[in-house]
Amino acid sequence: MRKQLADTREIEQYLEQQMPAASRLLFQVRMLLDPMIKEKVAAQRKVLQLVRWLGREEKKKQLDQVFGQLMQDETFHHTITTIFK
Amino acid sequence: MRHQDDQWLKEIYRDIFPRVAAMVRRMGGDLDMAKDIFQDAVIIYLEKQRQHTLPEQAPAMAYLVGIARICCVRKLKREGEHISLEQVPEEMVIPADYYAPAPVQRPLLDYIKATGKRCLELLRAFYYDDLSISEIASDFQFKNPHTVSVQKYKCLEKVRTQLQQMDYAETVS
Repeated sequence: MRKQLADTREIEQYLEQQMPAASRLLFQVRMLLDPMIKEKVAAQRKVLQLVRWLGREEKKKQLDQVFGQLMQDETFHHTITTIFK
Repeated sequence: MRHQDDQWLKEIYRDIFPRVAAMVRRMGGDLDMAKDIFQDAVIIYLEKQRQHTLPEQAPAMAYLVGIARICCVRKLKREGEHISLEQVPEEMVIPADYYAPAPVQRPLLDYIKATGKRCLELLRAFYYDDLSISEIASDFQFKNPHTVSVQKYKCLEKVRTQLQQMDYAETVS
């Protein structure tokens, strides 16, 4: 694995809290000494947040479609609209 | 890609949505609010199921109605209603980032989605859907698990670099 990918893997282990305590401490020192690594960690954390956000958005779309299909069903439609009359 | 089975979702909409809708109505909400609240409850339920943090043998009905109530109270409180929420059991706590805004602005989001669709799907399979390496290898037609891991790191690096470049561009401008 080339250096850049090895860094990415190490950052992942740090963010996912999969690093042993000693390595974690060492990595934190490395971040203090190397602003580039610190920036990469912040950006990689943002990637994970983005992936989670997009995963939820996709799921909402799927749920919207299912709800739309069910509202075509007369009985379901009636049950729901009666609640909000 | 693997998605939650539509049939299962239809069943829970049929069985549980009317109860959640009635609860939202009683609390002063409308149909759109009930839809949003139910979606949030289902998504949080599925996330906790994948992370194995649901209470043991908790029936989906009880959990979904419970979490929907918490989401509803939270939403009404944000809109200025004075409603008290009793101590929330740990297994029903809403994920801290659930109602956070999108982590990146819309133009950048669209750019990343347009240029890295497959990467985002792969990262989602790993980090959101929690699929195993072998499931991902099969879904994405990779020949072996090692390729999956390498590809995942390449994708992480690609999207991360895009974010850094955009951050840099924003700072400079």
